[in-house]
Amino acid sequence: MSVKIRIPPILQELLGTPDIVEMPGCNFRECLDELEIQFPGIKGQLYDKHGHLNGIYDIYVNDESAYPNELSKPLKDGDVVSIVMLYMGG
Amino acid sequence: MLSEHELEKYDRQIMIKGFGEEGQGKLKRAKVFIAGAGGLGCPISIYLAVAGVGKITIVDHDKVAVSNLNRQILHWDRDVERRKVESAKEKLEGLNPGIQIEGIEETITEGNVSELVDDHDLIVDAMDNVLTRYLLNRTALQKNIPLFHGAVYGFEGRATTIIPGETPCLRCLYREAPPLAKVPVVGVAPAVIGCIQATEVIKYIVGIGELLAGRLLIYDGLSLKFMEVKVGKNPDCQDCGHTVGYIKRV
Repeated sequence: MSVKIRIPPILQELLGTPDIVEMPGCNFRECLDELEIQFPGIKGQLYDKHGHLNGIYDIYVNDESAYPNELSKPLKDGDVVSIVMLYMGG
Repeated sequence: MLSEHELEKYDRQIMIKGFGEEGQGKLKRAKVFIAGAGGLGCPISIYLAVAGVGKITIVDHDKVAVSNLNRQILHWDRDVERRKVESAKEKLEGLNPGIQIEGIEETITEGNVSELVDDHDLIVDAMDNVLTRYLLNRTALQKNIPLFHGAVYGFEGRATTIIPGETPCLRCLYREAPPLAKVPVVGVAPAVIGCIQATEVIKYIVGIGELLAGRLLIYDGLSLKFMEVKVGKNPDCQDCGHTVGYIKRV
């Protein structure tokens, strides 16, 4: 089973990822473990120092917010997970 | 009632199906509050001014700096060190002398936001910091006024339209405040997002089209792609968790 993960431009630039990667995983936490193997450092960007999802990122599954269970929400084959960075420039 | 000059000036948009003289009249009667005369506030105010919005209030506490000039297109080299609202008012009045432009040099605070926003039909969020955006959000909810949000970073940007009582609010979207930092930005990013915000404002006032209500539009200028996600309402939102409201149209 695999899901597509959309990586935001800032992480593409920081970690050298493509804009979309396919990963196995039954939830986003598992996908992140796999992502970390291919793109070391991504967990450091997405988790805060307490091991929670960093508040400057939002996770969407099939374009719907996965909050508040972003890491554990069950995923199915073909789902699209979008990592969206929050920013405030004007 | 539109004058002959106004009918001629706005002829090309009056021609649009669903717009008409009636829509132009709604724009003429509308009072729009724009928070910020920076990268977003400049294109937003320009396009609302030339569209014929009757009253535009623009609030900003800053003076024009050299580093603003790559994106804040109402402010020119000669305006450096001048008050942004003064510079903006002068250019906007030149673009459209037939409307009312008010420039207010103030920092938007908890203490003055309600009074500043009073007597306006909608609020446009063109700020550069989350705390003022939260203030605008709360005020919009309290006064039942729609809020048109935009933000930029680098070549990227995002926009959504918040209708109190109907859509999730800004606090649902930004549950945590991103850290304050100097943000990289190229002028075309706020140009795109500011034009999207202005488009939403015009549509809302005229009453045509489908708003970005409950939808977050995300723009990546480097790949030239747009994506859209649904904004989830946070039932525990400290700002709108218990809001009951109705849709207010101008």
